Amino acid sequence: MTEDRIDFSPLDPMRDAERFEEIVRSITAAAAGELAARRARGSVVGQVALWWGPLLAAAAITGIVSLTALARLQTTAPTETTEPGLAEAIGVPTQVAEWVRGDELPTPTELLVTLESEQ
Amino acid sequence: MASDKGPDLPEVLLVERARRGDAAAFEALVRRYYRAAHAVALAVLGNPMDAEDACQDAFLRALERLDRLRQPERFSAWLLQIVRNRARNFRSYRRVRSVLPLEEVRAASDEDTGREAEREELRRELKSALTELSEIQREVVLLHDLEGWKHREIGELLGLSEGMSRQHLMSARRLLRERLGTKLLKEYSDD
Repeated sequence: MTEDRIDFSPLDPMRDAERFEEIVRSITAAAAGELAARRARGSVVGQVALWWGPLLAAAAITGIVSLTALARLQTTAPTETTEPGLAEAIGVPTQVAEWVRGDELPTPTELLVTLESEQ
Repeated sequence: MASDKGPDLPEVLLVERARRGDAAAFEALVRRYYRAAHAVALAVLGNPMDAEDACQDAFLRALERLDRLRQPERFSAWLLQIVRNRARNFRSYRRVRSVLPLEEVRAASDEDTGREAEREELRRELKSALTELSEIQREVVLLHDLEGWKHREIGELLGLSEGMSRQHLMSARRLLRERLGTKLLKEYSDD
């Protein structure tokens, strides 16, 4: 079957090859940023670069919070209370810490009983 | 690996590569679908210059949203849907632009050869005749007669049956024939 088809070639955007190339260049140039971002997201270096900023920010926030907390502890806590706390914190039994601080030495029996009770 | 990035690669592969930021693949998609995109935009806007702007906008929008495309084999239909939407948005806030480009076209054609002027005249007549069709008629006739799409493909894009697509094509051609006479008619074998 043949049919009268309308000749739309005057409206064909590819008729003028030079103009068409200009259009393609214009679209690809405008897309360059998005394409580069996509390439970056896909590569290992890109992934690191992508996470570098947030990681750095998180580290900075953690550092600031830690330093503030430490500074507050140092200014408010009394010295005497921190020493037994520190000994206990590193696993030294309270009784042993007191012997170390005091002048009196424990007897072998006291030492044995204290250590056994800690186990 | 120049041949590996050629425009002859399957659509799905080009889409996957463009997704990963391959500029050559994206350019191949632009070259492959620009004419169809322009036909759809022209059908909605009726002005080739506005259609160009809408197409550029639509290709960029499509690239930005490429990750949302679940079926890469349906890229062309998906792209043309974006073109239609962009063109419609374009039309809603930028209705008046036809006067200035026409003046520019006339000024340019004075300096060009007679043949060029004749082509511009045909172009102007076609544009004018197209405005008398409905949007759906313009889309069907441009996709069929300019882009060479089959009724099945047009139906899929526009959500029509093949029969309806044929009907719109016949009405559009009849109206254009009445308006243009026989000067822009060609004999082709129909699909």
